Amino acid sequence: MRGLVAVALVVAGCSSPPGGERVYQRNDLQLLTAHAAKEMCSCLFVFGRDEAFCTAWVKAAPDLKTLHVDWDDKRVESQAVLLWGARARFVDARHGCVLE
Amino acid sequence: MRGHVLAAVLLATLLAGRAHADCPTRPYWPTDAFLERTAETAMARPAEIAALEQFAFTLVGSDDERKGARTDAVVIARAGEIVYERYARGWSADQRHYSWSVSKSVVNALAGIAVAAGLVALDDSVCKYVTLPRADHCDITLRNLLEFSSGLAWKETYEGESNQVSSVLAMLYGEGAADMLSFVAGHDSRDPPGATYMYSSGDSTFLAGVLHRPLSHAFGADYAWTQLFDVLGMSSATFESDATGAPVGSSWFDATPRDLLRFGYLYANDGCWDGARLLPEGWVAQSTAVSAPYRQRALDTAPADGTQGWQFWLNLAVPEQRQPTPWPDVPTDAFAARGHWGQSVTVIPSLDLVIVRTADDRDGSFDFDQFLKLAIAVGS
Repeated sequence: MRGLVAVALVVAGCSSPPGGERVYQRNDLQLLTAHAAKEMCSCLFVFGRDEAFCTAWVKAAPDLKTLHVDWDDKRVESQAVLLWGARARFVDARHGCVLE
Repeated sequence: MRGHVLAAVLLATLLAGRAHADCPTRPYWPTDAFLERTAETAMARPAEIAALEQFAFTLVGSDDERKGARTDAVVIARAGEIVYERYARGWSADQRHYSWSVSKSVVNALAGIAVAAGLVALDDSVCKYVTLPRADHCDITLRNLLEFSSGLAWKETYEGESNQVSSVLAMLYGEGAADMLSFVAGHDSRDPPGATYMYSSGDSTFLAGVLHRPLSHAFGADYAWTQLFDVLGMSSATFESDATGAPVGSSWFDATPRDLLRFGYLYANDGCWDGARLLPEGWVAQSTAVSAPYRQRALDTAPADGTQGWQFWLNLAVPEQRQPTPWPDVPTDAFAARGHWGQSVTVIPSLDLVIVRTADDRDGSFDFDQFLKLAIAVGS
């Protein structure tokens, strides 16, 4: 229920903010999952911190996303309310992670 | 015959001297390893160390609350020798740490290297090197980008406002993520290039993208390593790219704190390293002088952050913009690479100090001036 309310709030918030500022295409949850996937990937495979630390590090509020780590492929996937998701993969030590 | 040989030897000596005469000489360079004086300093400066640690390493509340100073490392070097080093919050010396906008200062180095190699000139149009989605932005030069004066309409916000209006979030994680240069260059103009200063991750990433072509062409795709990181012994350096392969110059450089120290030490040595000049003569001086657009019209200023040069924060007052000395307890020749959540690499030439801090500060309360004051007391 809380999740649905949060989605409703996010969707409602997608109307134009005051001042006529540019509103970019991806919504909050799309940004949230992309941020989580990319930064979780970097945290695990570039910084070398553990999953518990990295999960806390990428945490946003409200925390509407899931995180899934594929250790073999060195990929991280994040999903929000089953509608939006993002994935990042580790390339190599010099180039770190990139959003797919 | 002997006279000719003598003349040749003298000439060779003169030429060799000329190439290196402008670079500082040091008894050692920390390319492979740092000399350490931490034990010595601990004995000589116990009160100063206690004061620094009390300030920087005291955690408040639970980790969840993300309150106060959350220091992950402090490393201080004098004359290139480590005099203080401490890690916290589970971080160790051999782990790369995110640097966020310290990355922008790394782009300054790449720009300097490109200029030194004769690959670019600062007043070249960006269109000399890349094709833009909008030709009307061909009036933007590399200098404009260095000086954060592209004039592009950009909203540099991170947390705390609607995420959907943030240009930097859209660039890193949203519609701009695959090709950040095109995304930045697709924005409307706010002002003509060179007229106004506005801190923008867009300008730094745009610059990194522009430099990527000529640098890759001349030195191969790993130019940042062969021309900079490997030379300094920054073996941990990671520079993440977007899908085009251009480094994300605003935000995604990662390295160990000791490698960040090496980076600072390059700038403490006028852009020279172990007898080689990486950055052009005068580059560091120009990079650490207040830029003309900043003096003319700085659209965003935060007194404690510093004033701006070429992707570096400065401790220089700018009366034209009603900016007092940003870090009043610190020598005015200090300059810093600084990143979100408390990252910093500070160079103080007059004290021959380089001070690195990595952190995860989330509440904006950290007093940078006070930190530097305490670090200087330990290190100088």
